[in-house]
Amino acid sequence: MSQANPEHPPMDLSSCDKEPIRTPGSIQPHGFLLALSPTLEVLQASENLEQMIGADAARAIGQPLERVIGEQASLQLRPELDAAGIGQRPLYLCTLGIGPARHFDVLAHRYDGLLILEFEAVERASAADFRHLHRQVGDFLLKVSDSATAQAMCELAAQEIRRVTGFGRVMVYKFDEEGHGHVLAECRDDAYPSYLGQRFPASDIPRQARELYMLNRIRLIQDANYTPARLAPPVNPVTGTANDLSFAALRSVSPIHLQYMRNMGTLASMSVSLMVKGQLWGLISCHHATPCAVAFDKRTACEQLGQILAMCVESREDASELQFRLDVRRIMVSMLAGLTQSADFIDNLSSVFPALLQFARAGGAAILFDDRLLTYGDTPGEEAIRDLVGWLDLHCHGDVFHTDHLAALYPPAAAMCGNAAGLLAMPVSRIHKHYLLWFRPEVVRTVEWAGNPHQKDADGANAAPMAQLSPRTSFATWRETITGTSAPWHGGEIELASEFRTALLGIALERAEQMAELAEELGRANKELEAFSYSVSHDLRAPLRHIVGFSDLLLEPATSENLEKRQRFLRNIKDSARLAGKLVDDLLSFSQMGRAALRPTLVQMGDLVRSCIDKLTLDVGQRQVEWDIGPLPAMRADPTFVQLALYNLLSNALKFTSQKERAVITIRASDEGAEWVLSIADNGAGFNMDYVHKLFGVFQRLHRMEDFQGTGIGLANVRRIIERHGGRVWATGVQGEGATFYFSIPKELHI
Amino acid sequence: MLKPILLVEDNPHDLELTLIALEKSQLANEVIIARDGAEALDYLFCRGDHAARQVGNPTVVLLDLKLPKIDGLEVLKEIRGTAHLKSVPVVMLTSSKEEQDLLRSYELGVNAYVVKPVDFEEFVRAIADLGIFWAVLNEPPPGSHRYVKPQ
Repeated sequence: MSQANPEHPPMDLSSCDKEPIRTPGSIQPHGFLLALSPTLEVLQASENLEQMIGADAARAIGQPLERVIGEQASLQLRPELDAAGIGQRPLYLCTLGIGPARHFDVLAHRYDGLLILEFEAVERASAADFRHLHRQVGDFLLKVSDSATAQAMCELAAQEIRRVTGFGRVMVYKFDEEGHGHVLAECRDDAYPSYLGQRFPASDIPRQARELYMLNRIRLIQDANYTPARLAPPVNPVTGTANDLSFAALRSVSPIHLQYMRNMGTLASMSVSLMVKGQLWGLISCHHATPCAVAFDKRTACEQLGQILAMCVESREDASELQFRLDVRRIMVSMLAGLTQSADFIDNLSSVFPALLQFARAGGAAILFDDRLLTYGDTPGEEAIRDLVGWLDLHCHGDVFHTDHLAALYPPAAAMCGNAAGLLAMPVSRIHKHYLLWFRPEVVRTVEWAGNPHQKDADGANAAPMAQLSPRTSFATWRETITGTSAPWHGGEIELASEFRTALLGIALERAEQMAELAEELGRANKELEAFSYSVSHDLRAPLRHIVGFSDLLLEPATSENLEKRQRFLRNIKDSARLAGKLVDDLLSFSQMGRAALRPTLVQMGDLVRSCIDKLTLDVGQRQVEWDIGPLPAMRADPTFVQLALYNLLSNALKFTSQKERAVITIRASDEGAEWVLSIADNGAGFNMDYVHKLFGVFQRLHRMEDFQGTGIGLANVRRIIERHGGRVWATGVQGEGATFYFSIPKELHI
Repeated sequence: MLKPILLVEDNPHDLELTLIALEKSQLANEVIIARDGAEALDYLFCRGDHAARQVGNPTVVLLDLKLPKIDGLEVLKEIRGTAHLKSVPVVMLTSSKEEQDLLRSYELGVNAYVVKPVDFEEFVRAIADLGIFWAVLNEPPPGSHRYVKPQ
């Protein structure tokens, strides 16, 4: 390693990540570097100053610029320095002639307190011409926007860059998720071996080199056999530390990299970073078997082509990503529509099984729900799935779990590669073991590596320090057959699976709410049913017993003689029969009330009250009844049901005022904001507030039967009607003075 | 001297049928009628309309389960919770065969639970049996003969 920088101790490849590539302390010798103070005094110079322009680097330190590069060159340069807004990125200032026959492109940038001037030796005496560059870039833009695929665009870029630079081989490669480079496109001279389709292991490019690729979009190594020109003094006089040459075009590169190049048979290289969405997407990598210079203007063209390519790739990837997501989402939406078809969640899910497979481009799917396991397509056996879910339950706590190499994480999966090499799984509940699983079969792939990617690691780990110095030397195609993995899960699939999960949870939640509502409804229905059966066994049994009893008594000889008794018994039988009949009617209407659908319309309560009173006139008879009806609003309610409730309450009021000389029944409405409240007050028998809780129960009576007729179901009916409207019923009463019944109806019906 | 039977019954038909049945059993005991739970308690506590009655507990309370206002179970609870009434025999007379009513009655310390038979002959026999057993055969607990006013 004669080319190794003597400043740097020998290093093994495992420390590549730590190599200070930004501060190599030297430059490539196809140009020279001067670091200046703000007053253009030379603070640092590269040691090749002597070879380049015949000036001694050590003596140049502390001199004004013109003393070092000459009066004439300085005169030409100064106005450029003044005019240009020099920043962090090298800016082309001019092309200078220094000495009799040498010409240099001058690049300037400011960094670390220094004005850094780089003088790149060029053949031409004239200034760099960017005009042809515009045309080129324009042409490329046109062509690239016509090409359909990222692949085609990359091919085009490789051709263009090769045409501009004359490199022997230009490749475009893309980094995969693991950082391995995959050669997508190539344009080469026939003399160069092809790397198309091959993969370069991620370890070929150490981490800090990748970072630099992101900062500085183009790098040129003109001659891998170069001897670096050190900087004198060796550290930045302003900062006292080694110069950060991140942005310097002439920055010297890692000796390991140079060795790598030589091993590859490449003496010149250039790489252009392809940045997509702020990430290093890939590189345009150029190789040449012999040293090759690329002047700044051409490099600029390449850099621009790289940027255009990256932009096109980004928009193309965005478009195809969008299209992909749209397609997956379309499937998801249709699935979700299917999921609400019936009440049973798992039936719903299994009914959309084909879409479920399509959604995740999976070979098989399984649903585990409440210990029920349903599978579809190509899946592992039931036992294996249950074991897998057990493992998932313990080890995966995210929303969505995915892997394209399940066996690497879960060894038992090695036995089920055929259908479950890849897994996308999501828990549908946080509490229960409910899972949705997608399986992808194994896809055996052959990967062509440019050299055995595992070789280097092995050496690094085992070999002696000196042997580790050499970067890998073999670039011969090395085929690796990758087994046990499935097609990778697409980012969009994972995201949409997560979205799908949210939707499922939403549906499940809604279902839980419906269940709770249903349970509440059932509870109420059960109670009513209990009351119903109770009343059948109790209330209905009583009149029947009476009919039987009085009939028997009627038949007794003693009775037949007593006319008064006979008549009373007959009357009792008739009463009991009528009561039994009414009881059955009331029971039926009460049970129907729970089932019939409400048909709310805008009901004029005033009209309704008056129609009820009309119906009650027969009951009023000769009695003196004063109906005091206040202004009543229109309410949204089911007119038939509300009329029944009103009728019950009004007839109640009439019934319980029957013993009063003059009945006063007052009907009022009040606006309580969210609801209307109606009250019906009477001056009748009233009731003891101690028993108010029994008032609205089924078959409850607060009065003796002979005092006030009734089956004890009227108020229960009222309550049921009002509650079905989302309202409440309540009452107040004073024994002997009267009662007031209230009900509310919400203005916004939630039925 | 025969102590009265307290019959608590709200339904007029049941009342009539029960009275007829008691009459048929030819019991000599007086039958006091209460038409609901509140009235029954008034009698037992010698208050309200019964404030002036002769002191002493009935020989048995025939109690309808389902009563307006205060129902049979509440009356029973009140009786069992009151020192001087605690030992008065109470027979629940009801149309209900509901298990919960039966359980609740026994929990509260009812002495007997009788479902009123639908067949009238059986009904008469049941009432007669009850009357004879509780009012004649049964030896009432000491203290049920006399009502001692608390100090």
